[in-house]
Parts: sequence; structure tokens; C-alpha cells
Amino acid sequence: MTLQPRADWRHLVPRWSPKLAVGSALILTITLCGLVGPLLVGDPDRIDNIGLTPPGGGHLLGTTQTGQDVLAQIAYATRGSLYIGLLVGVMATFLSALFGIVGAYAGGVVDEAFSLFSNVMLVIPGLPLVIVISAFVPPEQRGVWTVALVLAITGWAASARVLRAQTLSLRGRDYVLAARVAGERPWRVIGVEILPNLLPLLASQFVFAVIAAILNEAGLSFLGLGASSSSTLGTMLYYAQNGFALQRGAWWWFVPPGLVIALFGCGLALVNFSIDEIINPKLRDLRRRVGAVARPATDPAPSPGDGVVLTLTGLSVTYQGERPVHAVRDVSLTLRRGEILGLAGESGCGKTTLAYAVNRLHRPPAEVTAGSVTFHDRVAGDLDILALTPEELRAFRWSKLSMVFQGAMNALNPVLTIRAQMQDVLSTHRPAMSRAARRARCVDLLTLVGVDPRRLRSYPHELSGGMRQRVMIAMALLLDPQVVILDEPTTALDVVVQRGILREIMRLRGELGFAVLFITHDLPLLLEVADRIAIMLDGQIVEDAPAEDVRDRPRHAYTRRLLGSFPSLTGERGAFVRSGGVS
Amino acid sequence: MRYYLRKLAFYLVALWAAVTLNFFIPRMMPGDPVDILMAKLQQRGSGVDPSARRAYELLLGTDSDEPLLRQYLSYLGNLVRGDFGISVSDFPTPVSTVIATSLPWTVALVGIATVMAVLFGIVLGVFVGWRRGTWLDSLVPATTVLSAVPYFWLALILVAVLGSALGWFPLLGGYDVVLTPGWNADFLGSALYHGVLPALTIVISSVGGWLLGTRNMMVSTMAEDYVLTARAKGLRERRVMVWYAARNAVLPSVAGFAISLGFVVAGSIVTEQVFAYPGIGSKLLQAVQNNDYALMQAIFLVITVAVLAANLAVDLLYGIIDPRIRTGG
Repeated sequence: MTLQPRADWRHLVPRWSPKLAVGSALILTITLCGLVGPLLVGDPDRIDNIGLTPPGGGHLLGTTQTGQDVLAQIAYATRGSLYIGLLVGVMATFLSALFGIVGAYAGGVVDEAFSLFSNVMLVIPGLPLVIVISAFVPPEQRGVWTVALVLAITGWAASARVLRAQTLSLRGRDYVLAARVAGERPWRVIGVEILPNLLPLLASQFVFAVIAAILNEAGLSFLGLGASSSSTLGTMLYYAQNGFALQRGAWWWFVPPGLVIALFGCGLALVNFSIDEIINPKLRDLRRRVGAVARPATDPAPSPGDGVVLTLTGLSVTYQGERPVHAVRDVSLTLRRGEILGLAGESGCGKTTLAYAVNRLHRPPAEVTAGSVTFHDRVAGDLDILALTPEELRAFRWSKLSMVFQGAMNALNPVLTIRAQMQDVLSTHRPAMSRAARRARCVDLLTLVGVDPRRLRSYPHELSGGMRQRVMIAMALLLDPQVVILDEPTTALDVVVQRGILREIMRLRGELGFAVLFITHDLPLLLEVADRIAIMLDGQIVEDAPAEDVRDRPRHAYTRRLLGSFPSLTGERGAFVRSGGVS
Repeated sequence: MRYYLRKLAFYLVALWAAVTLNFFIPRMMPGDPVDILMAKLQQRGSGVDPSARRAYELLLGTDSDEPLLRQYLSYLGNLVRGDFGISVSDFPTPVSTVIATSLPWTVALVGIATVMAVLFGIVLGVFVGWRRGTWLDSLVPATTVLSAVPYFWLALILVAVLGSALGWFPLLGGYDVVLTPGWNADFLGSALYHGVLPALTIVISSVGGWLLGTRNMMVSTMAEDYVLTARAKGLRERRVMVWYAARNAVLPSVAGFAISLGFVVAGSIVTEQVFAYPGIGSKLLQAVQNNDYALMQAIFLVITVAVLAANLAVDLLYGIIDPRIRTGG
């Protein structure tokens, strides 16, 4: 088992994007306004007897009802709001880190207690509590720090929960366990091994804390419960409301303060998008090309001799990106009816990408760049898979070619019963079938793979790994397909269960006569079950021959290496000397 | 079953924590709220009834050397009986009556608006997530602007534009004051009409959060194996989207309801103030401005209990929509 690298700093720097640019620009501008603005404008409190005046001339944003300059007030109020936002942001993030990270790291009773405390604080509504506390503190004692403290105390719980969940998952990682076993002190483990990995999340929680603090402070001040003698955007709105700005149509008085808050919050939220993309790379922007499948130039394969069910000709699949990855390169294969074709190669050689491309299940940025996939249907003749319309493709899938996926644990929908997940195949592809017939078909198939039909009512989590994979196989055979692609169907299972499932597949193949494309990294297994074996290396097929030839007379050096890396199958001990999850 | 018991136990603990917090806050704070209250009562021309003083002392703390524990137990006793004392800002109405008349307004407003925001947000989020990579992605940053807008400011803008300038909706209040509250069409219609702007404020401000959360979960869920399986099964787009992707993607949104509800409640208190809506938020502020501590404390408790109840209901719902919880632990 290799130790994973610690947080790589390059992954912690946000990628440049328009959102990040606009967000940072907004934040910088408003921060600058708050920092420098007060130096450039006049006294915000100076009263003038011109009264409420609209923007123009001497007052760019007009004046309040007592003739105070709105622009000057905005500058000072922005400073006040940012100050309190930052203050609360720091305090709340510290509290949430304390309760979230330390609790989760310590585990046991401490974690239970901290987590219960966070959850209780989370469900007690914050603002009413803040209002009550503020109301008991006499106005003269209600300073900026008091308000900030109260806002921080009522606002840390949600992010503590997020941090706890993440810390719990980090705590179990190899490099953290290694550090703990090595006897490093807890504070060092947290500081060196855990905290760097939590930085993006902490940053995101900090951003949220600042937004929430500015909004809550504004609300509090608007109600007249803010820090006394402070001037924030909220107090400006309070005076605007009490000066009947709305009724008098003095939009220049109440629009700008809210706009500053909204724009600042929006800037933080936009920056947060970039941070989110670091935490969860799946969220990154996708640029989808027009027409999801690039139609390669190659024509479909001409109809081959009888007995062939699937032909791949010169198939290439590329992951488009700044540096395109050619995962599958110029692969040609034929699959005969009723045959088991093994496809072996180590992880990352392109086996799974190839399997997905056959059924056009590959997703952007993967793209078929050349070649053709031709399905020689028993009834409809040759089908050019890459040229099917989306609806034709949908109808083709599963009814002619079905798949059993690698992640047996996760291939079933956790919130639907087995029955629902089997029957929706039938109700989509065989709409004419009666309810009773559908039910009978599901029962038949489950019985066929050796699963008690009463399991139809179960949810996936109620089944063992082996049973789930049997259910998947039953599901794959529902529509009597001509080809079944098995992608590492037994990898996650223990040896005994593996044996049972393999025997089942062989038996069913004999009974039902479908062809199998069997994908695995486990060459000895293929030697036992496959008729023909193709060896894949770096996206290319380097050997394609009958199983005996691969075993006895491997032509490619890589095949010999693969064979050499496993204990002999035909050695003295006679039977199947393989461990469950090799390599 | 274990799941439900654990949830129930948790909310009992939370309730106890809130009640206790409510007991200690006035005792920890500077100032003597009981004397302020008694002074106010005297101004109203009410004789200082010893039993009234006793009720306030239990609620807010006392200078006497009565042991804290006994005070605490008597305070709990009063809560159970629903005896929160007399409101001084609505003198001489009992606090419980003030709450009983204002609570339905807030529950209806916040309830309807939240349900609408949740439904819109989830449906839009599912759709935007599903159609990822198209122009719909640009909706996502747009909604964050809405969530960054202060509730009350949005309320002011809505009033200025839709109320004052266009005159489509009334500016203030919960119903037309010439009507008598009751279960008749005129009154209910008027209440609905007056509720549009406050509800719109809540919906607009909170829909973005639901949309974003659901959309992000949708994107993560679409990378799951079972969605791939569903596509390989040749199911129709709609079925894959709704029953495989969305059905799983909404689970965390539902689980995170507690956090969102806190924001909504906070926002609606301030929003009620803008609209002079006859709900519990306005009453809370009225209490604060008049040092009506008894009313204030009671309202805090009622809001907390309502939020806890809503969260409990959602947690029970979660147990129904996630089978792993129902049978697991």
C-alpha cells in the first residue's frame, strides 16, 4: 500500500476563471472603498440644512433628510460592516474548527459531546437568540466587540458540522494513520497532516461566515439592536427606514447600502465557487461540444462472416483537455456469438474506457475520435453504433448489449428496491408486457442466478456484495441480450464468492448463448474462463489470440511479464492459487 | 426505529438546552429587567401584584437569595402551564394570548414561503445540474447574488417597486384593517393579497441556496455508478434524471434543512418589521423596543420550539425517503 502524498499546494490554488475574476474584483473594490474611501470623503455626520436632496452636483449620491452626504456615509459604513464581518468570520471559523476538527480527531466521548453541542447550537435559531441577548445588554455596553462575539457564538455551528465530516474522513487516511502510528503528537498530526487538506474547506467556511456576519449585523442594526455608536450599512438602512426614505421616494438613501452588501456578498460567493471546485473537482465547468459524439470518419465494418456479433475497427478514444490523453488507440476486435473474449491489462490501460465506448457510455471530456463499432444483430442486421440517434441508442442499450459494472457496491441505486430497478428495464423496453409477466420475469431471472426472489422487495444495502453482483447479472440478462460486457465483475468480492459467480456466468452463457466481453486485470482468471484473450497495454491491443495460445505461446513481451507475475495455475497444488484482490 | 428514537432524544435535548438558555440569559446579563418591568407595570396604573412579580422573577432572575435550582424548577413549572406572565407592551394581555394571535400569521407566511422556495429551488437545481455544460450554468452565479442580498433590503426594494411605484400590492400589514379577522372569503383573500410581497421576499432570498445545493449534489450524483447503470440500461432521460440522479441528490438538501430554516426564520423576523406584518417577528421587536422581557423570552422559546418541531418533522421525513436510515441504525 503506498502512502498518499500530503496536500499538494498546487491543488489548493484556485484555477483562474471569469467567476473568480469578477468575484475578486468586487471584493477588492469594496474593500478598497472601506479602507481608502473614508479618507477621501467629507465628514459623514455633518448636518446641512439642505435636507433630503437627490444625487447631483455637490453630493454624488445625494443627502439624507438631515443633509448628510450619502456617499461619505457609505464609505464609513462599508468600513464598519467589513470590520465586523471580518471579526466575526475569524471568531466563528476558529470556533467551528475547534469543535469540528478537534472533536472529530479526538473521537470517542469528546467527539460525541462536541458534535451534540454543535447540533444543538445549529437547531436553535440564531437571530432570535442574538436579538434576545442584545436586548438584555444595555445600549451603552453594546460595543462592536460584544455584537461580534454574540454573532460568532450563534453562527459557528453549521460549519463545525461540515468540518467534522471532512475530518472524520481524513482521519482514516493512510498518511494520517501512519503519522499517528509513528507516535507524532496530536497537535502536530492535526497541524501538519490534517489542516492543510482542510484549508479549502476552511476558506469556504470562512467566506460563508463573513457573508452571514455582514448580513446578520445589517439585520440587527436595521432593527436598532446593533453596536451603539457604530456606523455600518445596517445602521444606514435603519436611519433610512426611520427617516421614511421609502415613503419619500429617496431611493438614493436606501438603495446604495443594500447594494454594497449584495455586491460584496456576491463577490465572496463567486470566489467561493472557485474554492468549491478545489474541494470537489467534479463541479468544474464543463464545456460540452456541440453534438455529444464526434462522428469519426471511418466507415462501419463490412459485414463479416457468420457468427460475429460485435466488431470494433480502429477505435480510438481521447480525453480532451489541455493535454489530450489517448486512452484507447486504434483498437480492432471481433467478438463471436457465444464466445467469451477476455480483455486483460493493468489498471489505467484503457480497458474500461473501451468498454464504455462500445455502448457510447463515455462522457465528456472523453470522445471517440476514430474508428467504428458495429453490432451484427441477429434480426436487424448491422448497426453502426456510433451513428445511432439518441433514441435508437437508448433502445439498443441493454436489449442487445448489457453491462455488469466494476463497482458492484455502487451500481445499484440505493433508494430504489431491487424490484423497481429490474422492472423499469422491462417497462421501458417491453412496454407491451403485462405487470404479471414483468413480475414473473424478474422472479425467473433472480432464481436463475441463485438469489431468493423474495429479495425483490429489498434495498441494495440489505444485500451482501456477492448477492448484489448476482442481482446485477440477473438484471443484465432480463432482455436476453446478445452481448454482455462484464467489467471487473468479481474484483470487490472474496475468493469463494468470486468462484460462485464465475461458475454462474459460465453456466448461463452455456444456457442462454450470449457472448461475453470479460474485462479484468486478472489474467489467470481469464486463462481459466475465456475462449480468446486480448491483452491491452497503454490503450493498444498488443496480443489477441485463443486462450491456450496466450498461456502456452505468448508472443508479446508484456504478456509474458503478466503471466510471470502470477503464481502458476497448473502447478503442483492444482487449484486456483489466487488471492482475492490482486494488485 | 432506533433512528426515530435517537432523533426524538436529540430534539428533547435541544429543547432542554433552549429552555435552559432562556433561563440563564437574563440572569447573566447586566441590568435588572424585573425592576424595569415592574416600573413599566406601575406606569400602566396596575397595582404591583405580588404574583405578577413572582412570575417575572422566575422568568428573568431575582435578587433574592432563593436557590437557583428552585427558581429553575418553578420556571419549568410555569412553562409547562403556559404561564409567561403579562405583556407590558400589550397591557394587560397575557403573553400567551399575544403569541396565540400572532403565531399563526408567521407560521402561515414562513411555512408557505419556505415550501415554495424549497420546491422551486430543488426542481430548478435538479434541472440545472442535469443540463450541466449548457447556458443554464450561468443561472448558478446569478442566484448567489440573490442569496447575498439582505432580506429586509430586498423587502424595501419590492415595496418601493411593486408597492409604491406600480401600486400592485399593499405596502403594509397582514390584511385590510376594515375587515374582521375570521374564516371568511373576504378576510382570507385580503390576507393572501397582503402576504404576497413578504412571501416573495422570502422565496427570492432563499431559493438560490436550495438551487445551488441541489445542483452541486446533482453534479456529484451524476458521476455515481448507479446513474451510469441507469443510462446503460437504456432508460429514458426523465427516469434517469428523476429516479436515479435527483432522488439521491435531494437527500443531503433535506438533511441540511435545519441550517436553511435558521436563515429563513432570521430573515422573516426582519422582513415582518419592514411590512409591519402582524406576525411573531414584529411582536418580538415590539417587545425588545419596549423592554417587554416577558414577551421577548416567550417569543424566543416559541420560535425555537417551532423550528425544532419543523426540523424534527423533516428528520422523520428523511427517514422515509432514505431506506438506508429506515432499516439501518
